[in-house]
Amino acid sequence: MALGVGLLANTVSPDGIPVIGKYRSLSGGNGPVVPPTAEPGDPPFIDIARAQLEFDLGDVLFIDARDESEFACGTIPGSVNIPFEYLPDDDLEGYFESVLGKDRKDRLLITYCSGEECDLSLHLARNLQDLGYTNVVIFFGGSREWEKYDLGLERGPECEN
Amino acid sequence: MRKLIDSDVLTMISRLLIGAIFVYASFYKIISPGDFAKSIWYYHLFPGVTINLMAIVIPWLELLCGLALIFGVWYRGAVIWVNVLLVAFVIALASTIARNLSIDCGCFKAAESATGSAWNAMTWDFVYLLFSLQMLFSRSRRWQLQKR
Repeated sequence: MALGVGLLANTVSPDGIPVIGKYRSLSGGNGPVVPPTAEPGDPPFIDIARAQLEFDLGDVLFIDARDESEFACGTIPGSVNIPFEYLPDDDLEGYFESVLGKDRKDRLLITYCSGEECDLSLHLARNLQDLGYTNVVIFFGGSREWEKYDLGLERGPECEN
Repeated sequence: MRKLIDSDVLTMISRLLIGAIFVYASFYKIISPGDFAKSIWYYHLFPGVTINLMAIVIPWLELLCGLALIFGVWYRGAVIWVNVLLVAFVIALASTIARNLSIDCGCFKAAESATGSAWNAMTWDFVYLLFSLQMLFSRSRRWQLQKR
């Protein structure tokens, strides 16, 4: 009965959705993971292969959007930490400049967090894009996918685990 | 113990409590099935092709079960479904804890992001499960619109 009512209501509702959705269940190195919360105009998403390539090329800044403790306990080597949940309310642009430098807003920035259940990287990338950073991409597979491919995570002395 | 489980008053309280929670839980999901589908996606438990169908059907199942409990119609079926759903919710939440995922459970509204406490939601699910199990084993049939 719920099946019938649900399908009927979905058909007539203006907010109805396709019965068969198109979602990627898990990443597997076959293209970037794109969350369903992504919207048109968001910075592009990249897969593990591109993330690794950019890492090897070197002219890139990886930005870990998680909090300090998670950052300390396993981050892509060389990353800077901008905890999205603790962004300052005032002068966000100044804060970004203090972390990322003033002069190169076109530098490639790759935001990420822990993985597919975490969308801090998406929100941070939107903020950066809104403030004029022109070359921001999102590695939604995050540190978990990086670790899965055995690419090595860096742990800081502050890590308590 | 048997007497307590069969208590008319306790059974009525369980019906109203669980019924109201299920009706309330269904509300946001029915108006916003797309957002609820995203909540399901965050669990990473189900094949992508099944997610939208689940997001369409589960809220209506919750609503119908909640109303059936409150009014006492199709009672046995509703009680069984409520127990099945609560056990399924507990398993889903436990799996997120086991996999160290920190997600918004999407229990009462569609998850907007990926933060939240699965432990908190699971604790409450266990409490609801106690009441729904009481209904399952209770022989009380008072104050129901549909008589056997």
